[in-house]
Amino acid sequence: MMKNRTMKRPRNFEALPFVGPWVLGFLLFMAFPIGFSVYMSFHKVSVLPTRFKYEFLGLRYYKEILFGSSALYDELIPFFQEIAIMVPVILVFSLFIAILLNQEFPGRVLFRVVFFLPIIFTSGSILTEFVNQGQGSLGFMDRFEVGGYLDLFLGNSSWAGPVKDVLNRFVLVLWYSGVQILIFLAGRQTISKSAYESARIDGASPWEVFWKITLPAMSPFILLNLIYSVVDMFTFPYNPIIQLITTGNYGYNSALALIYFFIIVIFLGIMLLLYSRVNKNAARAWKF
Amino acid sequence: MRTESKLWLNKRSKGGRIWDRLSRLKVTDIRYLFFGREINRGLLFKLLIYWVLVITAYIYLNPILKMLVKMVMSKDDMLDPAVEWIPREIYWGHLADAAQSLMYGKSVLISITVSAVVALFHVITCGMMGYSLARMNFPGKSVLLVMLVLAFIIPPQVTVLPLIIMYTKLGLQNHLISLILPSVFGFGIKGSLFVIIFRQFYMTQPVEMEEAAKIDGAGAFKFYWKIMFPLAKPSIFVVSIFSFIWTWNDTYYPNIFLSVTDNVPLALQMARMDEDLKTILDSEEMLLLLMEGIKMAASFLVILPPLIIFFLAQRYFVKSVERSGFID
Repeated sequence: MMKNRTMKRPRNFEALPFVGPWVLGFLLFMAFPIGFSVYMSFHKVSVLPTRFKYEFLGLRYYKEILFGSSALYDELIPFFQEIAIMVPVILVFSLFIAILLNQEFPGRVLFRVVFFLPIIFTSGSILTEFVNQGQGSLGFMDRFEVGGYLDLFLGNSSWAGPVKDVLNRFVLVLWYSGVQILIFLAGRQTISKSAYESARIDGASPWEVFWKITLPAMSPFILLNLIYSVVDMFTFPYNPIIQLITTGNYGYNSALALIYFFIIVIFLGIMLLLYSRVNKNAARAWKF
Repeated sequence: MRTESKLWLNKRSKGGRIWDRLSRLKVTDIRYLFFGREINRGLLFKLLIYWVLVITAYIYLNPILKMLVKMVMSKDDMLDPAVEWIPREIYWGHLADAAQSLMYGKSVLISITVSAVVALFHVITCGMMGYSLARMNFPGKSVLLVMLVLAFIIPPQVTVLPLIIMYTKLGLQNHLISLILPSVFGFGIKGSLFVIIFRQFYMTQPVEMEEAAKIDGAGAFKFYWKIMFPLAKPSIFVVSIFSFIWTWNDTYYPNIFLSVTDNVPLALQMARMDEDLKTILDSEEMLLLLMEGIKMAASFLVILPPLIIFFLAQRYFVKSVERSGFID
């Protein structure tokens, strides 16, 4: 992997025009709003005709959300289960499609165009429109009564619902994979042809080549896609928890948004920990 | 007669050769024909690729095809369950209705302007930030990297309420500038992802050029804009397209920042149209089925401009992605 070759002589002021605008933006659009959000979450905010009135409440909103009602958990737990199913499926599917699209065969340009289309659709309200129209499920779900089989296997466990939901919206899983396919496709280009040639000369089978060359070389991109997919799912405006956070009651909603943020951080942390256990090279290859 | 027999002979000998070859063919050769010397060379694998790709492509395209069909279906065709894929007549009324209620001309103009300006600023600011993180050495760089990751994972809902208050104080609420302003500083929709893309690209560039430029006495700013930035064409291209399309499709920020005004981007106009249709559905007797035609026509009109841009650009897009900053 590339070494971080920065210049030896530090020239502190030269970096200023480069980082200046972004740092200013961070203060304006991140630091100030986050700080203000924290402040509001401790207060009851009332909107008066000319100004805002803040009444200190301490941790009351946090207590209310975390222990007062089950509204958050009712949305959160099935959503977690869905993410836990969907993210691995998205990763495997997009890696698979990227490897296929990387093969040489006639008409591959056409297929590439088709698989990049989701990038245009997934972010918009168009997708919700499709789902509302019932375009989200695969026809075979109903045709083969998959639901019935699932009931047999999963019984009354709490996973039955999320698994069914994911299957019902399986097309969405595919549609969420646009950017991930792109990232894998770009990543696959970084593996040199000579690595494959020498492996072949050494008599490695295609199966071995995949596990010994392709997969390790792709691990930084798997990690990037893992982070991207999780963040994408968590911040997608149509996810059920974000729907809970509205623009009413500033204090309460700030507390809710912050709790949600901490949950994302914890979830990402667990994911990264699991991933680094599975793959020690990845963390080294994808440096931050 | 003679020539004929010659031909026959010829044929036979050719056939003989094939037979010879067939008899000498080993089991491994047959295996190679179907499975290939490497798995991706075999006939069977090629067929498998096509089979998988055609099926997934169908799943991808199905909603789009449905959309195209439904938007040109007349009332009679929609009510007739026998008509599923091929309408008996092409009916343009839904498109006309949708265009009218979307205020298409005005909304498209707003969307194009906002998305293009946002993309431009993203390329400028995120490019510079990505370059400094990849190539420059300055105190506090690691802190900046942590800030970048934070900006990437923080949900917009955490920052949106204070932003409303800030915009109201600045008098920018309900103004289109509120959508553009974050991008000037490299924020806005997925701004941090764009910084990461640029950073990854600049990290792959050879360091020698910078040293040469230093010796020649070029300042860092000039050097960046004259030499490094033009080199980043693949990243510039990828970031512009992503930024443009994501801004185009966004309804979250416009819905919050432009709650009162009538001059809104296309995607928000469509969301508003949906609301209107819902109230019509609740109050009057308008058939849900018929509404689908208008909705599908509106969806089509909303994605049409990015779709055109995408098809025009896709060749460069694919190439750029392969050479862009995703590569470590």
